[in-house]
Amino acid sequence: MTVTYDVVIIGAGVIGSAVARELSRYHLKTAVLEKNLDVCNETSGRNSAVVHGGFAYDEGTKKARFCVEGNRMMEQLSKELDFPFLCCGKVLVGNTDADMEQLRRTMEQGAKNGAEGLSLIDEKKLHELVPAVVGKFAMWSKTSGILDPFLYTVALAENAHANGTEYFFDHEVTGITKGEGYVLHTARGDFRTRWVVNAAGLGCGKISDMLGITGYRVIGSKGNYIILNKKLGELLPMPVYPVPSNTYMGIHVTPTVDGNVTVGPDAENTEDFAYYGVPQKKMEYLAESASKLWPHIRKEDQIRNFSGILPKWVDAHGAIQDFQIEIRDDIAPHAVNLVGIESPGLTAAVPIAQYVVELMKEREEFEENPSFNPNRKGIVRFAGRSRAEQEALIRQNPDYGEIVCQCEEITRAELLEAIRNPLGVSTMTGIKYRTRAMMGNCQAGFCQMKIERMLEQELGIRPEEVVYSRKGSWVLSGKLREEG
Amino acid sequence: MERKEAVIIGGGPAGLAAALKLWEKGIRDLLILEREDHLGGILRQCIHDGFGLGRFGKSLSGPEYAQAFIDEIIRNKIPYLTGAAVMGLTKDRQITVITREGVRRYEAKAVILAMGCKERSRGALGIPGERPAGVFTAGTAQAYMNLYNRMPAKEAVILGSGDIGMIMARRLTLEGAHVQAVFELMPHPSGLPRNIIQCLEDYKIPLYLSHTVTEIHGDARLTGVTVAEVDGHRKPIAGTEKRYDCDTLILSAGLIPDNQLSADAGVVLDSRTKGAVVDEHFQTSIPGVFAAGNVLHVHDLVDFVSMEAEALASDAADYIRGANFVPCTVRIRAGEGIGHIVPQKISAERDFRLSLRVRDHYKDCRIVVRQGGQTVASKKMKKAIPAEMIQMNIKAEKLQKEGELEVCVQ
Amino acid sequence: MKKVYTCIICPNGCEIEAEIEGTYVLSVKGHTCDKGETYVRQELTAPMRTIATSVRVEGGELPLASVRLTAPVPKEMIFPVMEQIKKLSLKAPVEAGTVILKGVCGLASDVVVTKHIKEFKHI
Repeated sequence: MTVTYDVVIIGAGVIGSAVARELSRYHLKTAVLEKNLDVCNETSGRNSAVVHGGFAYDEGTKKARFCVEGNRMMEQLSKELDFPFLCCGKVLVGNTDADMEQLRRTMEQGAKNGAEGLSLIDEKKLHELVPAVVGKFAMWSKTSGILDPFLYTVALAENAHANGTEYFFDHEVTGITKGEGYVLHTARGDFRTRWVVNAAGLGCGKISDMLGITGYRVIGSKGNYIILNKKLGELLPMPVYPVPSNTYMGIHVTPTVDGNVTVGPDAENTEDFAYYGVPQKKMEYLAESASKLWPHIRKEDQIRNFSGILPKWVDAHGAIQDFQIEIRDDIAPHAVNLVGIESPGLTAAVPIAQYVVELMKEREEFEENPSFNPNRKGIVRFAGRSRAEQEALIRQNPDYGEIVCQCEEITRAELLEAIRNPLGVSTMTGIKYRTRAMMGNCQAGFCQMKIERMLEQELGIRPEEVVYSRKGSWVLSGKLREEG
Repeated sequence: MERKEAVIIGGGPAGLAAALKLWEKGIRDLLILEREDHLGGILRQCIHDGFGLGRFGKSLSGPEYAQAFIDEIIRNKIPYLTGAAVMGLTKDRQITVITREGVRRYEAKAVILAMGCKERSRGALGIPGERPAGVFTAGTAQAYMNLYNRMPAKEAVILGSGDIGMIMARRLTLEGAHVQAVFELMPHPSGLPRNIIQCLEDYKIPLYLSHTVTEIHGDARLTGVTVAEVDGHRKPIAGTEKRYDCDTLILSAGLIPDNQLSADAGVVLDSRTKGAVVDEHFQTSIPGVFAAGNVLHVHDLVDFVSMEAEALASDAADYIRGANFVPCTVRIRAGEGIGHIVPQKISAERDFRLSLRVRDHYKDCRIVVRQGGQTVASKKMKKAIPAEMIQMNIKAEKLQKEGELEVCVQ
Repeated sequence: MKKVYTCIICPNGCEIEAEIEGTYVLSVKGHTCDKGETYVRQELTAPMRTIATSVRVEGGELPLASVRLTAPVPKEMIFPVMEQIKKLSLKAPVEAGTVILKGVCGLASDVVVTKHIKEFKHI
């Protein structure tokens, strides 16, 4: 038996989750199908985590418009949804006359796009803002910022879920049958729906083809990053970028909301949309390139690396195109097709989602959901609070007095709340990204056993059933001795 | 804020030995803080034997070695808190501790750092490739197996020939996993020779020197690693790559003193040991803050950890009683062939014990300590290897009151 | 014939050079104590090893009690001994020092617990 949905969204990245939340403002039976075991497992979470100002995109594009709108909304969103966002500004640092010319052009473009708070600053001001940077002048974007992309996506998804959206993980759409509405096929059953939203990110081309909207050429642009330990965050109050070229932002250094620093990305086209390995040479190259801007990258401070792949829609000549957001009434009515949602998709997610809903509402009247609640609370963190607040938390719940991950000061209370997350995610990395446990210097050396045991106990599963991140990523092969 | 004469951070071998010695010296107002639910530290998971030959004259397992100290702690009713995570230490020796009963704060006359060490992780090693499940440090695998009854591997490869890695090679084999090989970046093994025999050779596990893992494969669970030979600069040699199919990679590539707390307090650290810079009393750059054991420098044998902590405690007891130490202004420098030395500063007015490690393998060599061109101490060694810690007693009568000491291998 | 042994009796790991004929040790050098010579003789005729592992504990605050052998056993008996130990089971509380299996596999070695395991108490 298949249930009929009003809308099925394919993909639980930041776009799919934002669309889910916007749709949950209406009386609709909505489901999100995600092939991974958690939200935000691909492009949405694998990037610089910068909230962009909107100056870097051609005038009149959707990228420019939605980026500027998203930037303006972020403060309000972070209040409603309780995710870490810091409007710290950012600088594009230059040295040569050519750099200056490029920065002036960027300023002009920014002004046309409606990006606010842009100014050119001299070396003195630059060093007031970022003491440890190397450069003669800079463009300062006051309204740029940083956020936690994973917690942002979780917040959108949890809020959508609380307002009625259903989530299905490990549900990869393998085919679509068009008829009266759509039937989406997955290995775990069919989903019948009136509307489809293709928010499949790297899979957007495939889903578009399944919808019968063929001809999109989507290439992957892979960027590698290294992560530096928390000490370094103090030396970097805001992201530091080189002067950008037309299509590439350049290797930059960015503080994270937690005080780490990411270095990257390089950019290389790739056919393989699932390979996230970081080669040795790239790590060395990143450290070397970024050191010219910010000379504090030491090998012993590198705690790990990661990479991300941006889906770029390109024309026949390989030129990168704007975001495509369309309903092709002729070929696939009631299907919103999003293609090539790459950077600045993280900043632009909610305006994109609002636009998606507008397109849908042009074709069908949606009844508002009067019980929609825009607010969502995240896990109450123990670290970073005053000792008095910590004392109060422990008194309320003694599990706050049990530090499980010492590096990041994460308590048993937070871990239990993460394990009991409303979306029903049960992977080790799901717990890791929700709490920051296992992300510190020792990289889970001391705490992963305790967290693994908590997962077993809370979920009532066997050790060999505990999953690290993706399907098949078993952590343990079993027990040494049977337990009575 | 509760005042204490001594607070010991860490209830492992260093902390326990320091506490017992302080007690013996008559210091009663002390407290051991341990973050785990039990005293004993990492020894609780080191269930193999070979501990205690120096101290007890017999070969004990890790838990037994620890228990010998814990029994004394309990017999003397020395106060300790378990489940107590120290999350703050200041230069005024104020300590913030998180427990299930609430946030506790102490101010101590003497703080003894005994937090031990942590393992070098994959990130710290910078191993390229994907990030699947199945990459564990040796100590993590050891904890899973020996404390939690959980099996982390079926087909394993080990990177690094540290002692824990070799011991885990044997442990995994005994429990039915297959260990294909141990790869070591350096041209010499980094663990003790006896472990090569009894943990690897006995189980026909090959050890490849001058090899490293150059890539990790698998997007879910590990599916394999690429291994290559390295040249004299430890760079992989192109064309020597070979793939090993396995589901687990165990890392045993070094221990690092865990000084997150010390650094927060502003304790000056030595870039060689990654532990505090200390004087002959094991006092750090912050007066009244002492450090011993693996938090100071990584030891090869727990017996030496206990001895060092006891030496610390003797002096810390004097400090608590108000003794004025002679200023330690004479620096000791690690010269040719020496990896690191402890202590780094001395008064040159009393005998002290120098601990050091060499950087390379030497045969029939001499460890020489010089001051102003004069040899003040020397030790003949049939062999000296980086895996073994070397200790020398230095007599004050041989020393000048001024002028740096240099230690080197001849 | 000359053969080099690494002594495993203590952490010093002496490299011992032995002159051997068949199963006879003619001379040894390089050892720093008498145990070295005994080790080489033993190693040449019947190598002995000790092992440490764990035994399941029911109702304990930990699922396993660590154990070791009280005396080394012939090297080739390591896996048969492991199989015997794997079959053992204890009930908490367990005291370190308790011999839980005398003469494992008929050998002159006992299995002894090396860690106290208290009973698990529900809070």
